[in-house]
Amino acid sequence: MTQYQGADPSALDELVRRISPPLLRYFGASRVVWNDAEDLLQDCWIRIHRSRHTYRSSEPVMPWIYAIARHTRLDAYRKRRRLESREVLVAKLPEPHQTVPQSAAEPAALEHLIASLPESQREVIVMLKVAGMSLEEVAKATSSTVGAVKQKAHRAYATLRRALGKDKENAS
Amino acid sequence: MQASPRDAELERQLETWGASQSDRELSPEIRRKVQGILTSSLTPVKPLPSQRTLFFEFLAVFTACAAGLIAIVDKTGFHLMTTAQLASMAAILAGGGILFSLIIAWQMVPGSRRRFPLSPALALSGFGVFGGIMLLFPWRTSGAFVPEGWPCAAMELMIAVPAAVVFWLLARRGALFASAGLGAALTGSAAFLALAPLQTQCMFQQAPHLLVWHAGTAVILIGVGALAGDCSRRFGRPFR
Repeated sequence: MTQYQGADPSALDELVRRISPPLLRYFGASRVVWNDAEDLLQDCWIRIHRSRHTYRSSEPVMPWIYAIARHTRLDAYRKRRRLESREVLVAKLPEPHQTVPQSAAEPAALEHLIASLPESQREVIVMLKVAGMSLEEVAKATSSTVGAVKQKAHRAYATLRRALGKDKENAS
Repeated sequence: MQASPRDAELERQLETWGASQSDRELSPEIRRKVQGILTSSLTPVKPLPSQRTLFFEFLAVFTACAAGLIAIVDKTGFHLMTTAQLASMAAILAGGGILFSLIIAWQMVPGSRRRFPLSPALALSGFGVFGGIMLLFPWRTSGAFVPEGWPCAAMELMIAVPAAVVFWLLARRGALFASAGLGAALTGSAAFLALAPLQTQCMFQQAPHLLVWHAGTAVILIGVGALAGDCSRRFGRPFR
């Protein structure tokens, strides 16, 4: 990162090669379609590039990267919501076919449950489980405190546990 | 993340889900595109100073501006205050300056560690000012509450608005993400800066006057800053 700040092209290539896959997974796991995730990744890299002077070598790089990625995602989400609020349906669309997960243990079923979590709780779960960050790193990336991150994680766990319990009751 | 035993099953499922996300890979075309865009504008940059240095920079600007303004204004209020009132108000205003400088320095660097939540810190500064005035100053008013008060509010605005612009110009060197907290911190810092010369000059050292025309104007300024930050966040306009 320090070499990148010094305009070393090989450092930039290495950084893009190493950081892009986890960033793409982060965007992909955040309820966006895959093409949007690639657009978000490009937007995020442009923001990282413009903000590269704010990184300090004494600090870990991942919370810094994910703080920028988080704002990229939130800005895109707000932009989409604004556009959707202005859209007018000219005809009633057919109801999409609902695919009910066979078992709550399937990752797809869990993904469905995670998608239904409140935004702030889902974000913490994605950072902890997909990006593999520690509580301290998530707190830094979300401009929050470790206590607040723990609280959100516990609430998310409680919601998921309840939902999975209900699924099991329905299945039996 | 340490899970309790009853979370073990859920933890296992979350680990499986997290691992399943790793299957997604970046296409070489996108990677080349990103590298191409960034390489074309790759120039050396000077890293921002440490968060501690940024904090002291803001505090130094706050202190220098407050001291400069105190030096040029009339000292009627200074002579009217008791030692306890003077010391307490100086401590409250300095505390506000430290708090807001710390918050702005945090906001300048993405991924900075936050040691305490923002809202209680803002509430604490409010309680400090209002509580201090209510306890330290006499509860009496003269007949002309409004005619005596509005010049103080106008003076506070005349100092605070340009000061907020100066703080924003200093802060925008960082990677600012618009938020209500940042807006409140910028105008809060400016309001506390304006309160220092106002307190030194004002000849009406009475609790109702200070609460309404001094502290009340500061609350309005902080509210306007928070609203501006929130609108900027909602409508996608960054602060820089």
